[in-house]
Amino acid sequence: MNRWRFKQLSNRSFLYVGAALLALLAAFPFLWMVSTSFKPPVEIFAQPPTFIPEDPTWDNFRRLFTATNFLTYFWNSLIVSGMAVILTMVVSAAGAYSLTRYQYLGREKIAGLILCTYMFAPIMVVIPFFILAKKVGIENTHFALVLAFTSFCLPFTLWLMRAFFKTIPVQLEEAALVDGAGRVRAVIYVVLPLALPGIIATSIFTFILAWNDYIFTRILITSDELKTLPVGVQDLFHSALIDWGLIMAAGMMITIPALLFFVAVQRYLIRGWGAGAVKG
Amino acid sequence: MASSGVRPRSGVINTGPGVDERAGLIPVTKPKRREQLSGYLTIAPAFILILGLTLYPVAYSIWLSLLEKHSFFPQERFIGLENYLYLSKDPEFWTSLWLGVVYSIWTIVFQLILGVAAALLLNQSFVGRGLVRGIVLFPYMIPTIVAVILWKWLLNDMYGIVNYWLLALGIIRDPISWLGTDQIMLSTIIMSVWQFFPFVLLSILARLQTIPEALYEAAKVDGASAFRRFVHITLPQIQGILFVVILLRSIWMFTKFDTVWLMGEGAGAGRFIRTLPVYAYMRTLTYYQAGLGAALAVIMFAILVVCTVIYFGLFREEADIG
Repeated sequence: MNRWRFKQLSNRSFLYVGAALLALLAAFPFLWMVSTSFKPPVEIFAQPPTFIPEDPTWDNFRRLFTATNFLTYFWNSLIVSGMAVILTMVVSAAGAYSLTRYQYLGREKIAGLILCTYMFAPIMVVIPFFILAKKVGIENTHFALVLAFTSFCLPFTLWLMRAFFKTIPVQLEEAALVDGAGRVRAVIYVVLPLALPGIIATSIFTFILAWNDYIFTRILITSDELKTLPVGVQDLFHSALIDWGLIMAAGMMITIPALLFFVAVQRYLIRGWGAGAVKG
Repeated sequence: MASSGVRPRSGVINTGPGVDERAGLIPVTKPKRREQLSGYLTIAPAFILILGLTLYPVAYSIWLSLLEKHSFFPQERFIGLENYLYLSKDPEFWTSLWLGVVYSIWTIVFQLILGVAAALLLNQSFVGRGLVRGIVLFPYMIPTIVAVILWKWLLNDMYGIVNYWLLALGIIRDPISWLGTDQIMLSTIIMSVWQFFPFVLLSILARLQTIPEALYEAAKVDGASAFRRFVHITLPQIQGILFVVILLRSIWMFTKFDTVWLMGEGAGAGRFIRTLPVYAYMRTLTYYQAGLGAALAVIMFAILVVCTVIYFGLFREEADIG
């Protein structure tokens, strides 16, 4: 084997080792969680640890669904995230359409202002938000939570949708207008179908942000029956003896919906990410 | 344009090149009143929500920071700058500021190194690349609470797998108390880098994919080494996005609440990772001093604005954005 060939080959193997390590680094904690969630208590604390449960059991999941309020939290998460997605998408699709299709005074200023708020971190918004919510009397409601998620996601979704709408040629719409379609019909039949990948990707992104949120829920919600998953699951830690099996099972159940959505739209997400990030 | 040059699925375009030109002139030259009105009406919901739910609360927190106010009772009293004066003499404030800076700098540095290296790796072509690209985004997509419980379990001092391996390999003799006072900052930094490097990776990778392959081919023909190709081709190309990524990550790490708070909670050593956002939260919801909490949020905001302005001043020319 000549030298050049050897170098080629060692470069390839270096590449594969690197990629494998990277994948392992990202995925191992999750695999370890899956493994732990199927172990009975004795095996969880076994030394040396086992990777594949020797005595796999559904017991942790059974206890999660029967002995805790997990299902309530799950339902709350679903409702609140779903509502936040609907509100955010309707508002940001209309806004993005406005920013890309109409000419008016101050348009670029408004776009700039919205992008600016993208940089506001939740911790800077949530404290005054909480005090104001108390003044208005909407603290400890899902309504307040939906509003908070919307305010948190809106700058980003608007920016992303604007990038998607920009890629749709205005001419297509104008052709429809000239052919006698009204503006509304042109939007429904020409723009929306073309923007669908962008709309789906942005919706999923919003859903994941809302689904994963901890800080807004922790601060705005006090009743147990209104809590969402991240806050509800954190409270499982508050027992004297930490039940790792139960917590790992809960961790898996929170992760799976977000992960499924993510896998479904990963392709669009990466494309949208490029559009959104490079423009910023 | 000859219609043979148009791909069959774009039949809509095919019908209208003549129409385009006539229709395209109308909105550009003269925005009509109706057009203006429609524009304002469609942006209004977004604008009102952002105004009411983000800008107004942030402005209100400036007012709130001038009040003495209990977080749960309606009474409030104007006390001017007293909250700020109090904080300036509060050793805990200065500690939290320092811890926040330490946490941000280390997490940003390692996120960038790991993220850029991983992006370069995943920009090469190899079998299974798509799968690995999907897997590495995983830490960024899971809820923070899950990331935290994963790592608390991995780093558990008695039964954690990390200690088990280190002991088994003979690297350490006694188990390390990863969540104890001495190591908790290190553990939180490691965990945060793991959680957030995919953001850097994805942003850089998106840009890398747009660099023309021909540039590299030409450099290879000229005999440039891999390192020189990186410095002279890749780096200038990713400079713009790096500028944005560093800015965003700095803002987000400096204001990171949930990761740090959840890592510190129940560990007993939370005090050693009490960064500025955590301190602001505690003032508001542990000590119920909403005024002080707001003052801390305002200080955080002011620091960010100043740093952003300096950052733009220093690096603006080097990063051609847009």
